[in-house]
Amino acid sequence: MRFELSEDQALLRSSTRDFLASELPLEKSRAVMEHSEAGYDPAEWRRLAEMGYVGLVLPASVGGQGLGAVELAVVLEEMGRACAPGPFLDVVLAASLVADAGVADALVRDVVAGEKLVAIARHDAPFAGTAAAAVVARGGRVRGTKYFVPFAASAGALVVATVDGLGLVEGPFETTPLQTFDPAQRFADVALDHAATPLGGGADLARVDRLGAVGASAMLLGLMSRCLEATLEYVRTRQTFGRPIGTFQALQHRMADMLLKVESTRSAVYRAAWTFDAGAPEAALACAAAKAYAGDAARHVCGEAIQMHGGIGFTWELDLHLYFKRAKTLEQHYGSTEAQLEAALAAAGY
Amino acid sequence: MDLQLAPKHLEFRDRLRAWLAANMRRPWRAELRDPAATEDGLMEFRRGWQKKLYEAGYLGMDWPREWGGRGAGEVEKAVFEEEMARADAPPILNTLGIGLLGPALIHHGSEEQRRRFIPSMLSGDEIWCQGFSEPGSGSDLASLRTSARLDGDDFVLNGQKIWTTFGPWADWIFVLARTDSKDRYGGISFILCKLDTPGVTVRPLRQITGESEFGEVFFEDARVPRTHLVGRIGEGWRIAMTVLAYERGAMSLAASARYGRDLDRLAAACKEYGRADAAVREKLARLLVENEVMRANGIRTLAYFAEGKTPGPESSIEKIYWSEFDKRFRDAALDLLGPGGQLLRTSPDARPDVDWAREFLWSRAGTIYSGSSEIQRNIIAKRVLNLPQDAR
Repeated sequence: MRFELSEDQALLRSSTRDFLASELPLEKSRAVMEHSEAGYDPAEWRRLAEMGYVGLVLPASVGGQGLGAVELAVVLEEMGRACAPGPFLDVVLAASLVADAGVADALVRDVVAGEKLVAIARHDAPFAGTAAAAVVARGGRVRGTKYFVPFAASAGALVVATVDGLGLVEGPFETTPLQTFDPAQRFADVALDHAATPLGGGADLARVDRLGAVGASAMLLGLMSRCLEATLEYVRTRQTFGRPIGTFQALQHRMADMLLKVESTRSAVYRAAWTFDAGAPEAALACAAAKAYAGDAARHVCGEAIQMHGGIGFTWELDLHLYFKRAKTLEQHYGSTEAQLEAALAAAGY
Repeated sequence: MDLQLAPKHLEFRDRLRAWLAANMRRPWRAELRDPAATEDGLMEFRRGWQKKLYEAGYLGMDWPREWGGRGAGEVEKAVFEEEMARADAPPILNTLGIGLLGPALIHHGSEEQRRRFIPSMLSGDEIWCQGFSEPGSGSDLASLRTSARLDGDDFVLNGQKIWTTFGPWADWIFVLARTDSKDRYGGISFILCKLDTPGVTVRPLRQITGESEFGEVFFEDARVPRTHLVGRIGEGWRIAMTVLAYERGAMSLAASARYGRDLDRLAAACKEYGRADAAVREKLARLLVENEVMRANGIRTLAYFAEGKTPGPESSIEKIYWSEFDKRFRDAALDLLGPGGQLLRTSPDARPDVDWAREFLWSRAGTIYSGSSEIQRNIIAKRVLNLPQDAR
């Protein structure tokens, strides 16, 4: 029994951290977030693909590395720490679904090589609970509008969730950008009337949803770890009433609670990843619990970081808001907290 | 990463499960609800149950065989605690002896002390209570004033201990006493004292649950042989801190098994009463999620133990987590059950599955004893986050 990463996994962590520090430092990412339309740098994306990241969890038969959820968590935790923008998790999940179905291996190979993006189109309405016409797949075509499709404007293909099952459609797409407060993410509405390939049989959306829950929680873990670190650095130097604010118990106890949430999330995320890879029966509950907990924990920790920085914490200039915003996006997508709570109840048989 | 128990630990677990099934008369909740049960009677029952476990080799799990232990490791100990919780087994009586004094003797005691005290501690023939807190020294434990003055071959004890768990039922007490009034930490020594020693008086204190599990202990010129000093004079603080880390060690796994068991019953009760609306389901789901995360914390600690690591100040995180969760859980349980959740277990209408009323009250203790949540946060701030310490 061992909680620590294996040698290979630890190497993946350090090489990912180095790669992100040199290729995607936050100064550079901020320019991409604030000024690029696509929300990511295509040249960097190709480098990411060349390094094998895009195909991390995909089988070797389509050019992937065949690694598991633990490795995906390692990479996403680092991307969270760096507050890396871009479609990484979205593409990994969609490509995994398409690869499982085995109906479009050529497309998956292009995705793994960084030549194309693929994402999953899920939402039938922009607001929770609003009724909208369900997208349908009949007669070999998918018709209707999908909302909040990640990186749709850059996607070469989409996996569309419809009342008739999953359909794979290829671009070009008619997209309307949706601007949210999170500059690290791009969403768009997509009007679809496209010939579709059904992703039958092997495509297991529930499995990919669990993988998405692990991946998003890992990224949340990275975001909150970095926010706690930044806060610990700040309270040691920031002076008020003639002493560093880190000496005040009112803050110390809250930072202790931040650590509790960060470390508990770490336990939950890596245990969930391990149960996923092991095909353990407790995986469904472990993945749902990790995501539900991580979403709340990250909002709390990133929010406390802003609070403890005071006025400077509320400025655009400081990076903290990027973490806070990214955390809220991850909390609401990849299975919202509500959805995860339902999944947990179902898994426990309550 | 590998979070699967090793084959030998799985085998240990399966054998223990079978043993519990064969040797437990009935679940602890049924013992508690027995109309004939008295507080004294339950204590004696727990003593007998402890002896049974000891004879089967399940106590002193990680202690060397030569002193009556099983010679296994922290992993077996954590698995044991988890299985006891899962089975709703009666709690052993000598938890403070085994949980705190045992490690103190193993790490700091003399050979003679180990041989004298460990077997009877494990068998339940001698029950121990813990003499740390004083009326003026709770969270600021190092300010304690109970004195131990060396006089010939004896220490002479004077002072008062309070919140002494099992005081009213114990045979012995381990005391932190001051051997030097000027040295705050280095002036504290760890001394063992028999409770029927002349000059020692024990008085029970009634708790908010109505029980008198704890009490106060008075020392008036009580003479204790010098051989009952553990470690050297002035080492008491260091010894106490080591054993407290052990006490906080692998609690999460057992706690999450216990809460998981009760949560299953709460969910079943909600189903039984037709409570299925969204507010009820969200409450249940959040408890489920938090308990599952606690379990992940416990598995992580277990994996550290399996690698031979010892618990450090990070164990404060687990202490805060389970004790604060306990309060939220028991409170939510009462809300979900409605007024019936407040019924005393002796009431014929009380639910037979869990003593919800007592658990609700008892949950207020966990964030106070064994280092309050505030003290745990101080420990994390100072020893894990290394924050500067010059103001409060």
